[in-house]
Amino acid sequence: MTRINPLYLGFFLIVLLLFLSFKLNSAKSELATAKIAYKESLKLSKELSNLREVYTKKVNLSSLKFASVVQKRTKTGVILSSKSINAKELNRFMGRVLNGAYNITKLKIKKISTTKVSLYMEIK
Amino acid sequence: MFTKFNTKTKTIFLDPNSTKRYSSIDSKKLNIILSPSLYWIKKIELPLKYAKDAKKLLPSLFEDTLPNGNYSYSVYKEENEFFIFAYEDKLILETLSKFGISLSNVQNVYFAQSEMQNLKGATKINETQSMYIKDGIVILVPSSLIKESVELDVSQLPLSKHKIFLQQYAHIVKNNDLYKLGAVLLLFCILICAEYFITTQKTSQVLKLKDELFVKHKLKPTMMQNISILKKYKITHQKQTKLREYILYALSFKLKKSEKLTKLNLKDKSINTEFSDISKETLSHMKQVLASKKVKFTAIIKDKTLHLEMML
Repeated sequence: MTRINPLYLGFFLIVLLLFLSFKLNSAKSELATAKIAYKESLKLSKELSNLREVYTKKVNLSSLKFASVVQKRTKTGVILSSKSINAKELNRFMGRVLNGAYNITKLKIKKISTTKVSLYMEIK
Repeated sequence: MFTKFNTKTKTIFLDPNSTKRYSSIDSKKLNIILSPSLYWIKKIELPLKYAKDAKKLLPSLFEDTLPNGNYSYSVYKEENEFFIFAYEDKLILETLSKFGISLSNVQNVYFAQSEMQNLKGATKINETQSMYIKDGIVILVPSSLIKESVELDVSQLPLSKHKIFLQQYAHIVKNNDLYKLGAVLLLFCILICAEYFITTQKTSQVLKLKDELFVKHKLKPTMMQNISILKKYKITHQKQTKLREYILYALSFKLKKSEKLTKLNLKDKSINTEFSDISKETLSHMKQVLASKKVKFTAIIKDKTLHLEMML
């Protein structure tokens, strides 16, 4: 008989349905994985770009200008030093530095008299 | 070289009461002409133009005529008359099987009615029966009633277009039901295909968004690299946060008038401080504060000077 048996067609459709269901499941799990990966990337990129902005931007020296503090730019960052700075000025200077987003790599403060100290600071 | 298959089709007459055996048909394709004993026939006039319009009416036209069974129906029109047929697929298939004919070898199936309309006189089809045309219908009569009959030869018979298709499982499931089920399955297939297409589109959109994110935030090509860089920044951030906290602790200790912070030195992993003339009470207070803040530290008094080291 040249005509295809409807039962064979039915069987073929069931097999096709199973195959398509399998493909759909795979596609759905791929979508779920892609969504998770996107969320992770979004979180990471926000964190990374925020931190990178803080720790890689060029140090703005204008806000750290103090009469007794000498500023010097180096290849890796900035050196701020003072051979003698009074407590009040040191207090204001440290307030600016510690409240700002600076990457302090070195800091030395040493009392040299009852009212004065020496200061050495490196910022990246 | 190429093998040339024999595609010639043989025509045989199928009669359940025949004693004839078909031995040399192994792989040949067969056209089957059904004996009148394998179907029911009616010749009627209907107020219809086409045979296909009559198809729906066939079961009702045979109502009360047929014995119990699962019948398939067929119809064709000649001039103004409709030839309508009822037949049992199962019976025909069983007869084929009885003669050792596989359904896969069967090319087409015809009714004797449509193929032998030009029969002249009686034709013997088995030991006891002959075929005869009466009022335009091919009927069977006992051979004993026929004076002269010729042997049947269908080998050179030209075949008409009025063929039927046998349903192997027609007695179990109706074709209509199968088609309905098939339509439902096909509908499901189409729905799944549509959902699959939508899902893959969504996936490619998400991947595109991810790529855009990488470009926008100037990220490295792999997540491993980015995670590594983030880790490095986090360590720096943690260290800077701790550094500020610890300096605050060092500056906020409650000291007596004689006690002074004389030195503060940031090292790679610690902050070293020196306090002069520290009393036991003050030292105890300092230790309490640092312990409550969970700061790892070492405190050593040397020449009345406290050397306090806080680990970052």
